[in-house]
Amino acid sequence: MMWSSLDSILQSKVGGITVINIFTFALILLISVILGKVVRLNLHRILREKIPITTLVVLEKMSYYIIVFIGFMVALPYVGFSLSGLLVAGGIIGIVIGFASQTVVSNLISGIFLIIEKPMNVGDGVNIGDVSGVVEDVRILSTTVRTYDGVYVRLPNDKVFSSNIQNYVAHEARRFSYTVGISYSDDAEKAVEIIEKLLDEHPLVLKEPSPSIFVEELGDSSVNLTVKVWAPSSHWYGVYTEMLWKIKVALEKEGIEVPFPQHVVHMAKEGK
Amino acid sequence: MFGKYDLNEKLKEQDIEITMEGRGKRRKYYRKASGEEVEKIIYADGGNLVVCPVEPVNIPDMTISEHLLIEFDKPFVIEPDTKDTFYAKFPVEVGVFLVDKKDVEQIDIFTKTKPKYTLYGPPEHGVICKWWKSEIYTEKPEVDRLYEGIIKVDMTNNYCEWTEMKKIVFRAFDMKIFYDDYAYMHAYLKILKKAMGETTFNSRKPRNMQESLDIYLAKGIKKLEKKFVMEWRFK
Repeated sequence: MMWSSLDSILQSKVGGITVINIFTFALILLISVILGKVVRLNLHRILREKIPITTLVVLEKMSYYIIVFIGFMVALPYVGFSLSGLLVAGGIIGIVIGFASQTVVSNLISGIFLIIEKPMNVGDGVNIGDVSGVVEDVRILSTTVRTYDGVYVRLPNDKVFSSNIQNYVAHEARRFSYTVGISYSDDAEKAVEIIEKLLDEHPLVLKEPSPSIFVEELGDSSVNLTVKVWAPSSHWYGVYTEMLWKIKVALEKEGIEVPFPQHVVHMAKEGK
Repeated sequence: MFGKYDLNEKLKEQDIEITMEGRGKRRKYYRKASGEEVEKIIYADGGNLVVCPVEPVNIPDMTISEHLLIEFDKPFVIEPDTKDTFYAKFPVEVGVFLVDKKDVEQIDIFTKTKPKYTLYGPPEHGVICKWWKSEIYTEKPEVDRLYEGIIKVDMTNNYCEWTEMKKIVFRAFDMKIFYDDYAYMHAYLKILKKAMGETTFNSRKPRNMQESLDIYLAKGIKKLEKKFVMEWRFK
C-alpha cells in the first residue's frame, strides 16, 4: 500500500517531468558538487607546497567548475533538455570561442607545463629570450620578471615555454672566467701565483672546485691568461665584478704589466 | 669573553673589545675585533648581554650556506663494523645577544677566522659549505678559544668495507654548541654505505658547560631538516 503510493508520487508529473527525474537531476548535481569539492580539497593538499598559491587557487576553481559542469550536462536530459540540440549549438559556440581563445588556451597549457617542469622558481635570476632579470611570479597564464634595471615585464607563458630559459641560480655553484693579458717580458708563472693567492683569500671563491689559471693564448700584444673561478650561484655576480680589478691591481703591484694592444712597426731604410 | 654580563660591563680579551655605553634606554654598542669596528645605537629597557659561540656559518653572510665542511689534513681510515671517537677543530664565530625576559635579539656576530667556502658534491646537486681544515686528534686539543672550538665525533662504520674519510659535513640547523673556556660540540657520524653517511649532534649539555644561544631560534627561523646525509663520498 505504502510502496504503491510512493511509486505514484514518484511517477506523478510536475510540468511534464516526473518527480523521480527531478530527484535524479538533483542527485547527479549533488554528487558532482561533492566530487568537485573532494577533488578540490585533494588538489590543495597534494599541490600546496609544490606550486604557487595563486596558481593553485586557479587550478582548484577550474577543476571544481569543470566537474560541476560535466555533472550538469549529464543531469540535463532528466529534466527534458535534449543534449543533441545543445551539442550543435555548443559546437558552433565552441568553434567561435576556440578561435577567439586560442592564445589564452595556449598560454594556459604552457603555464601548466611550466608549473610541472619548474625550470625556474620565484626569486631566481634568469634570462628568457631577450629578457634578463629576477622571476617575480609564475602564474597560470603569464610569468612576470623584474629586470635588473627594475622594469616589470610580463611574459605570456607560451612565449616563455618556447624560449630558451637560462637559470643562473638553478645549480648551487657556477663558473665564470676572465682573460688577463700580461706583457711578453713578464713571468707568466709569477702572474699565476699572484692570481692564485688573491683568489685563495676571497671567501666566496670556492675551494672546491678549485679555480684554474693557465696560459690560454700567445696573443698579438700580450700573453693571455685564462682565469676560471667557481662561486656560489647566489653570490657569483658580486665576486665576478670584484675580482677582475683586484687581479689587475695585484699584478701591477708586483711589477707585472697589463699591456695595451700594440704593434711594432719597422721603418724601411732609404735606398733599400 | 663567553658568558652573560650586565649591560654596563666592558669586555676585553686579546684584540676584542665589547662595550655598551650610556645610561637609560638608549645605549651605544661598540665592538672591535681583528681590526674591524662596529657601532650601533641600542634602544633597550634592560636585560643582559650574552656573548657566546654561534653556528659558524654566519660570516660574511648567513644566506650563503647552512653547512660546515671540515677537511682533515690526513685521511682517516676506519675498518668495517667498528666505532671510534676523534676530535677536530672548527672555526669560532662569536654572537652578541641582548637578552631580556621577553625576547632574545642578536646584535652582532664576528669572527677572528678567515672565512672560506667550498662545494660538497656536484655543482648541480651539491651544497655550498663553510670550509675549515683541521687535524684529527685522539684527545681534546688545545685551542685559542676565540679562534677555534673543539668538536668530538663519535663515528660508526656500519658498512661492510674499510672506509677512508677526508672530510665531514654538518648541517648548522642541527648544531648544539656549548661553552665554558672554549666552544664545544659533540657530533655523530654513521657510515651507511661506501659513499654515504649521516651526521647528527648530541643535544645533551655537558657538565660545567653552558648552552649557546641558537641563532636560528633567535631569528625566528623554523628548523625543518636536522641531520645531514653525506651522499657524495667522504673524500
